[in-house]
Amino acid sequence: MSAPKPDRTDVCIIGAGASGAAAAKVLTERGFSVVALERGPWRTKETFGGDELANVNRYNLWPDPLLNPRTYREGADQEPVVQMFCPVPQMVGGGTVHWQGWLPRFTPEDFRLHSVVGDLEGTSLVDWPITYDELEPYYTKVEWAFGVSGLAGANAYEGPRSKGYPCPPLPLSRYAQKFHQGTRALGWNAFPTPQAALSRPYNGRPATVISAFAQQHGDPTGTRSSALNVFVPDALATGRYDLRPESYVRELTVDASGRISAAVYQNEAGETFVQEADVFVLACGAVETARLMLLSTSARFPHGLANGSDMLGRNVTFHEYSSAIGLFDDPIYAWAGGGYVSASSMQFYNHDESRGFASGGHIACAGVGIPLPINWGLPDRPLWGPEAKSMDEQFFNHSMAVSMVVHDMPQLSNRVELDQDVVDAWELPVARITLKPHQNDLAMGRFLVDRDADILQAAGAQKIYKVYPDKVTGNCSHQHGTARMGDDPGTSVLDRNCRAHEVDNLFIVDGAPFPTATGANPTLTIMANAWRVAEHIADTRGQKRG
Amino acid sequence: MSTFFDPHQHDTLAAAMARIIPTTDTPGATEAGAIDFLESYLAGIDRIYAKPDGSGFEALTGRRADAWRRRVEILRSTYVEGIVDLDRRSADAYGAAFVDLDAKQQDRVLTAIERPGESTALNTAQSVSGYAPVEPALQQASVEISLSFLALLALHTRQGFYADPIYGGNRDRMGWKAIGFPGPSSLAEVHTGRYTVIEYFADGSHEQEMEVTRERAKA
Ligand SMILES: Cc1cc2nc3c(=O)[nH]c(=O)nc-3n(C[C@H](O)[C@H](O)[C@H](O)COP(=O)(O)OP(=O)(O)OC[C@H]3O[C@@H](n4cnc5c(N)ncnc54)[C@H](O)[C@@H]3O)c2cc1C
Repeated sequence: MSAPKPDRTDVCIIGAGASGAAAAKVLTERGFSVVALERGPWRTKETFGGDELANVNRYNLWPDPLLNPRTYREGADQEPVVQMFCPVPQMVGGGTVHWQGWLPRFTPEDFRLHSVVGDLEGTSLVDWPITYDELEPYYTKVEWAFGVSGLAGANAYEGPRSKGYPCPPLPLSRYAQKFHQGTRALGWNAFPTPQAALSRPYNGRPATVISAFAQQHGDPTGTRSSALNVFVPDALATGRYDLRPESYVRELTVDASGRISAAVYQNEAGETFVQEADVFVLACGAVETARLMLLSTSARFPHGLANGSDMLGRNVTFHEYSSAIGLFDDPIYAWAGGGYVSASSMQFYNHDESRGFASGGHIACAGVGIPLPINWGLPDRPLWGPEAKSMDEQFFNHSMAVSMVVHDMPQLSNRVELDQDVVDAWELPVARITLKPHQNDLAMGRFLVDRDADILQAAGAQKIYKVYPDKVTGNCSHQHGTARMGDDPGTSVLDRNCRAHEVDNLFIVDGAPFPTATGANPTLTIMANAWRVAEHIADTRGQKRG
Repeated sequence: MSTFFDPHQHDTLAAAMARIIPTTDTPGATEAGAIDFLESYLAGIDRIYAKPDGSGFEALTGRRADAWRRRVEILRSTYVEGIVDLDRRSADAYGAAFVDLDAKQQDRVLTAIERPGESTALNTAQSVSGYAPVEPALQQASVEISLSFLALLALHTRQGFYADPIYGGNRDRMGWKAIGFPGPSSLAEVHTGRYTVIEYFADGSHEQEMEVTRERAKA
C-alpha cells in the first residue's frame, strides 16, 4: 500500500516558526497556495499561562529532551554525549512563541566583516553575498507587519533606515533605567531595545500586557508580537495557507533530474504522507534543517541533499549569552516585564582593531537568568541552608544583569551531523553537534562581560559578579550557518537568493543561510531575509535555472 | 491522593527539606508544604502541568506521557536510593536514622553528600540562562533526571516553596511573600490578562533618560 498523497501544491514550507510563517505570509499574499508542514502542535493562546514551573522547568513548551535529544562533543576525537544543545520550541510559531523578543537590526558592517577584519586564522570568515542596503527594505516590512516597539535613530551604530518604528518604545523598566544611568556615566550610546511587543494598540491587537511571565512563557493575551500571533493569522486570512501541525517531515525525495519531488511526513498517529509541490522551502531552524537534509540521501546526493560540496552542516554558530550581575540597594523588580523589557548598547559591536579580537556583540540589560522565584539565582548562592534562603530574601528584588551576545566565529570543523547511535522518539538519528569555541569567541566574551560590569558599576551596584563564558553551550537558542549562502558553489550550499546551488526548487529561509552569526539577536534578520527570499520566489515563480 | 513514598521516606524527605529551606524568623519548607508538592509530583503523571486557567491538570497522552512516566520513574529511584544512603550515613555517624538526628547532625550528613562541582555548574547556568532552560552539561539529556539526590531535593524544595500554589506547595503564597514577589492570586488572573506588574516599572521613559544623556553630553 502506498502512502496517501494530499493534493500537489505550489509551495511546501517545512516549519511554521519565525521564518516559515513569514515566508508563508508573503507567498500566500502573492497568490500562491502553500502547504505548511509543522512537526509540533498548533497551540492557541488559551493554552498558555503564568506558570513558571510548567514553562521554565517542566518542558511544557520546550522540547522534552527525552523525546528530542541531541548529542554534543567538542572535537571529532571525542565521544558525543547526549545533551539538549540549543533547544528551540517546536510548535506553530516556533521559537517566537515564548520569547520576549529583542529585535535589533544587524549593522552594515555585519554583511562585510571579512572585508573589514581580513583573514582570521582558524575561521572561515566571509562577507555575506548581500548587503545591508539590499536587506533594509525587508527589515522595514517586518518591523511594520510584525509590530516592533523601538526608537528610530537612538542606536548610533544602526545603518540607515527608510522608516521609523511602528510603535514607540515600551515603558521603562527599572533595570533599563539603571542601564541608562550606567551608560550615561560612561559616555556610551544606549537605546531602548527594539521589542516584539506593542507599546500601543496596533493592527487590531491591543497593547502588550506587562506581566512577570513573559520570557520562556507563552502569551495568554495574544498581545505580543510572534509568528503565531501575526504571520500565521495573516497567511490564514488569504485562504491559501494549509497549515498542518503534528506533521513531522522525515525526508525530501528527489526525482531523476535532481529536483525535489516530495516531502515525506508522518502524523502523530504514525501515518505517512507524501506531499508534492513545485517549490520546497525549509524553515526548520538551522540545526533541524541541516538534519533533515542529511537524512535525505539519494543516489544523486549520497551525502545529504544539495551537499555535493560537503559544506552542509559546517560553520554552525550559536552565539553565547552571558552576563555581569549587579546587586543594588534600591529595588529593581527585574521580573517586571519578565526581565527582558530592556535597554541596549552597540558601543562595542562593530570591529575595533585595538581591542585585540575581531568584531563584537550586543549588550543589553535583563533580569538574572529567568528572574522568577524558582529560577532566579546568584553565582555564589549555596545550594541549600539558611544562607541560600537569606540571599533569596535580600537580593531577589535587588539584582539585575547586564548581558551580552558573543559573536562566535564560523569554523569549518564546527558542524551539525547525524549521530551514529542516538535516535529520537520517532526512531530518526538525532543531530550531533561538534563545536569548539575559537579563541576570538572567548576573548570577546571576556571583554564584553567586563564592559557589562562597567555599566553596573557606573550605575551604582554595590556588588558585581562576572560570569565569563568559557564554552559555547547553545544557551541563546540562536542557530545559524549550516547552509551558507554565497556566490561560490564550492564553499556555500545556497546562492544569494537562498536557493540551493545544486537543487533548483529548494530554498532555505531560517538562520542556516547566514554566513556569519553577527553579534546581535538574529530573528529580525531571519524574518527579513525570509521575506526577501519569498518575494524572490514569487517574482520568479520558482522557475528552473537557466 | 495516592502517594509514592512510604511514611518513613516521607518523613525523611520532609526533615531534609526543613534543612534546605529552614524555618528562621520567616517560614520555611515545612510551613510552605514543600513535601506535599513533591508527593503530588511523584505520585504519577496526573499533576505535571496545571491547566493554564487553573481549572485542573492536563491529561498527558502519547509520547509525552511516555516521557513523563520515564522521568518520574528515574526521579523516584534517585530518591529511594538517596534516602537509604542518608540513613546509612546517619547510622554510621550517629547510630540513628536521619529523621531522628538533631538539626546540626542532619546538616553534617547533608554536607557530606554535597557535590560542589555540580552546585557550581547549576549556579552558573541558572545565573545566566535567560534563553534556553537551565541545562548545564552534566553528561545527560536533562538536568532534572541527571541530578544527584541532594541537588534534586534542593531543586524540588525550591520548587515546592516558590511554584504556583496549585502544585501543592507555596502554601498561602508564603514563598512569594518571603522574597517580595507579587505573584498572581491565581493562574486565572494571568490567563485572563488581568495580571500586570506595570506599577513596578520606573517613572519616566526611555526618551527622558536619553534626553538627560544628550543634555549632559552638550554641557
Ligand atoms: C526563550 C527564547 C527567547 C528568544 N529570544 C530571542 C530574542 O529576544 N531575539 C531574537 O532575535 N531571537 C530570540 N530567540 C530565538 C528565536 O526564537 C529564533 O531565532 C527563531 O525562532 C528562529 O526562527 P526559525 O524560523 O529559524 O526557526 P523556529 O522558529 O525554531 O521554527 C522552526 C520550526 O520548524 C519545525 N520543524 C523542525 N523540524 C521539522 C521537521 N522535520 N518537520 C516539520 N517541522 C519541523 C519546528 O517544530 C519549529 O516550529 C529566542 C528563543 C527562545 C527559545
